[in-house]
Amino acid sequence: MAQSPSGSAVKALQLELKKIQTEPVEGFRVKLVNDSNIFEWEVAIFGPPSTLYEGGYFKAHMKFPADYPYSPPSVRFITKMWHPNVYENGEVCISILHPPVDDPQSGELPSERWNPTQTVRTILLSVISLLNEPNTFSPANVDASVMFRKWKESKGKEKEYENIIRKQVQATKEEAEKDNVKVPTTLQEYCVLSTPAHDNQVDADFYDDDYVDDLDDEEEMYHEEDEEDSGNEES
Amino acid sequence: METNSGDVNQTTFDPTFQHPYSPARLPETVRPSKSQDLKSRFKNLRKTRGDGNCFYRAFGFAYLETLLTNGKEYKRFFETAQKSKDDLIGLGFPQFTLEDFHDTFMDVVKMVEKPGTTAALVEAFNDGGLSDYFVVYLRLLVSGHLQQNADSYIYFIDGERTIKEFCSQEVEPMGKESDHIHIVSLTKALQVPICVEYMDREGDKCNSFTFNPFEGTADSADATPVFTLLYRPGHYDILYPL
Repeated sequence: MAQSPSGSAVKALQLELKKIQTEPVEGFRVKLVNDSNIFEWEVAIFGPPSTLYEGGYFKAHMKFPADYPYSPPSVRFITKMWHPNVYENGEVCISILHPPVDDPQSGELPSERWNPTQTVRTILLSVISLLNEPNTFSPANVDASVMFRKWKESKGKEKEYENIIRKQVQATKEEAEKDNVKVPTTLQEYCVLSTPAHDNQVDADFYDDDYVDDLDDEEEMYHEEDEEDSGNEES
Repeated sequence: METNSGDVNQTTFDPTFQHPYSPARLPETVRPSKSQDLKSRFKNLRKTRGDGNCFYRAFGFAYLETLLTNGKEYKRFFETAQKSKDDLIGLGFPQFTLEDFHDTFMDVVKMVEKPGTTAALVEAFNDGGLSDYFVVYLRLLVSGHLQQNADSYIYFIDGERTIKEFCSQEVEPMGKESDHIHIVSLTKALQVPICVEYMDREGDKCNSFTFNPFEGTADSADATPVFTLLYRPGHYDILYPL
């Protein structure tokens, strides 16, 4: 593929950063790891209400390639995560982040892939849904995957998985306090946070859709995991 | 002096019509007669970068170049292109980024308006920020057309995949090569008939094939190809007739 001068990448990333910062969306915050480098972002993800992750505050680093948006960024949790699709080093394994070539999941699951119209926002929404709907077909952490299945198949009677997640969520509270962040714990707060401070210029449909999608996600969280897991932009 | 560094090169006569990228894929024995055939019908070849996006890039450049001298078709295309944005947003592509790609696409399209020149188009198609965004948007148009007409295409894709999966794996990612189905889709999405000369292993001459988006409609007979591409295994370039 063409060697894109990183000028395109810088332009695309600046545009996205500005958009997210002026019109925050539900479930996460972003900032640059270092103000002089647009290619590395720090993101903080809020655990979705009514899930094991409720109240959690999870930090991750996103690294963008020089040919962004033609190739996807990588996402690595800094917060310790016990999850079927997160490697021990924190790296997130999710179909939307797979580069177009050498796709290990090819032909397995109907799931969102990377394309140049995907954004930080669509990635993070996918990651948020992945938290509660792990993909156990190609786990990055096999032990976590086995434990998750036990928990799920026993309908919550086997509590090992649940206990570990709750403990991890608890452990993130300190970090949230340190950052002076109040993590939303009700669906209403979670979504209200997404309302931009100045929404007079904003396309109302855009936010209406998001709101409805999110409600759908919450309701479906314990359903079949082979459903479209990203739940965004499909309405 | 021709170089292979650009996305779309300045046109120069290429008397050999030799494959610049993978000569090994075309047996030495068939090449001379096919080159001879091309030389008898075409005066020039414009090379495009061999990066998996060559079909889109060749299509985009060759088509806009024909629009430089066809104001009526430009007007029709401009409206089609303008309208396509809402269709794609309707299919679920993220609005924010889609608009960015569409805006850049339209900026390149508008370069056709007077005083548009081939030189200006060459420059635009060699500017990564414009050229690659343009390619992305053409890919989205193909994806959109396939998804909107999924019933007609579902039997023409490999493997047990839905049209949406096919699009996300074989159409939307940059650098994914184009096949017959991609060409059919783009020519139909934009209603542009084109011809492709296949310099492949079969026969002594190039096999030409017209992609006619009006096939089966009342306009079918007017489908004169507006430009011609040359296909050599794995790569598309632009041909200029004598």
